Amino acid sequence: MLTLHTLRCAGSTTLARLAEIAGRAEPGVESELIDLAVAGLVTFEPGPFGGWSITPAGRAAHAAWIADELDAAGTRPEVAGALDRFLPLNAELLDLCAAWQLRPDVRVLTLLDDLDRRAEPVCADLTGALPRFGRYRVRLAEALARVQAGETRYVTDDLASYHVIWFQLHEDLLLTLGLPR
Amino acid sequence: MRWVRPLDSGMPAEVVGGKAHGLGVLTRLGLPVPPGFVIGADACRAYLRDGRLPHGLAGEVRAAVAGLAAAEVSVRSGASVSMPGMMTTVLGLPADPVGPLLDAVAEVFASWHTPRARTYRDLNGIPHDLGTAVTIQAMVYGDRDPRSGTGVAFTRDPTTGAPVLFGDVLFGRRGDAVVSGREPTVPLGELAAREPRVWAGLTRAAARVEGHYRDACYLEFTYESGDLWFLQVRPGRFTGAAAVVVAADLADEGVIDRAEALLRVAPADLKRVARVTGPADVVARGLGACPGVATGRVATSADAAVRMAAAGPVVLVRPETSPLDLRGIAAAAGIVTARGGPASHAAVVARAMGRPAVVGAAGLVVAAGSVRAGDRTIPEGALVTIDGTGGEVALGEPAVTESLADAHVHRLLGWADEVSGDASDRPGPDRLRAAQAVLRQ
Repeated sequence: MLTLHTLRCAGSTTLARLAEIAGRAEPGVESELIDLAVAGLVTFEPGPFGGWSITPAGRAAHAAWIADELDAAGTRPEVAGALDRFLPLNAELLDLCAAWQLRPDVRVLTLLDDLDRRAEPVCADLTGALPRFGRYRVRLAEALARVQAGETRYVTDDLASYHVIWFQLHEDLLLTLGLPR
Repeated sequence: MRWVRPLDSGMPAEVVGGKAHGLGVLTRLGLPVPPGFVIGADACRAYLRDGRLPHGLAGEVRAAVAGLAAAEVSVRSGASVSMPGMMTTVLGLPADPVGPLLDAVAEVFASWHTPRARTYRDLNGIPHDLGTAVTIQAMVYGDRDPRSGTGVAFTRDPTTGAPVLFGDVLFGRRGDAVVSGREPTVPLGELAAREPRVWAGLTRAAARVEGHYRDACYLEFTYESGDLWFLQVRPGRFTGAAAVVVAADLADEGVIDRAEALLRVAPADLKRVARVTGPADVVARGLGACPGVATGRVATSADAAVRMAAAGPVVLVRPETSPLDLRGIAAAAGIVTARGGPASHAAVVARAMGRPAVVGAAGLVVAAGSVRAGDRTIPEGALVTIDGTGGEVALGEPAVTESLADAHVHRLLGWADEVSGDASDRPGPDRLRAAQAVLRQ
């Protein structure tokens, strides 16, 4: 089910990217995707904008699973509290991304570094509430390290950029709590 | 009075904040402003230093509020530099007792130090110790009756720079409804027929504030039972073609000299950007989030966008975006969202992918397979054109140009060459930069 969830948060994507997001080897993820496709929960489309994506039946199954998962963990208050702390950080991150796109300036990167430090405890608490959130911390740190190494497209302009990963984390929080955007 | 000052004190923006300073200008120009007063930024600095409102402020506020003779007041932040949407505003607060009012003042002061506001100041080089002033005014009610409403107006068209009033109005609503973008507005021009006296008041005010600021201006207003009130004014700070047109026109009108016109235009304003030029059947307006024009068939889902893109360009229209839309955005020629601002996930992704985008097009309701704009329904597959600078969403394929201000650019660059003494054939931005270097010596 974790593969279905990853696909739901990431949108349509390739096997390679899905494996990278999940931090797993491709063959294992592919075998799960095939099982999910047989069950009608995911589908594969060829073409330039194609890839693996979730079907309407997959979305329904996912919604039921994710509600059960949070009930079983019994950590709804912790996740809801993390969302409350995430939202002001989200507004700030979007300000930073917009500023960067208008004027790519090293000052923005210093501020991104500072924001990332303040986001860390929120991610840590989320991981304590639901361990699968731990993967975001790893991916955000990877994107930030690439930015610091001079690969500045990992601020906003890559599918593995800090902003895209953050966007998926935002989506994941809302899905987990069953909230609309 | 140590902390509290009247709106027309004439104190500089560094003391009373940009908002109260503008209200003072309006008052001195004889334009109607709701009665009010301002608590200076020095009180905010004292609050931030001591963690409580300064001694004597409560008594001053109590006396000043009593002088307004208002049942309800608005409490608005206003630093000496613009920090849009970063700090707290409270509308419709009872003027008596004064306790909750002082709590609201403290809340506005405290909002100076939210992490987001700090980051905004770091990004824009604004000192952290400025503090914000707080303006308290008698409420005026744009939702009082059918002859009430609220709106925003530019004294010139911010797309073309043309000298015509331009803006949006909401009939029977309060100011927060317009600024939040939650409700669909109508073009300001509709006010002319509906409330001719209000329209005439706006037209007179536009000329006066332009005369004062010697620039195109932005106004916020409310009219209550036919009476017009101004809530804010500031210079328009136009960019792109509009900046060139306004600077050249003001120089031609003798309002500013040519040297000032040359210094007001940024080299980036000369960049040629595709724009929709009328006439266009505009069905919705939002905020331009990524410049450029895109024409394509409406798709209401990422799946539809990917499917339809095989047959020709597509404009993806969404309520707002989730990561599921990423491939639809990649497949589309342009993006429209009904909600969100220039710093939203949708806007960031559109700019990252270089897709013209309009966000926060509040009039649009997106359903599966169609989009509703007011009383009109736009089916999936209908041809639309979007302008990612001006924020227009228009049906069909209106005229598009990259040379909105050619005559004005030509004139302005002629002045630039006279200043620099170099008439050689070079790109426009270089000609402007050379003139500015001479003028700034």
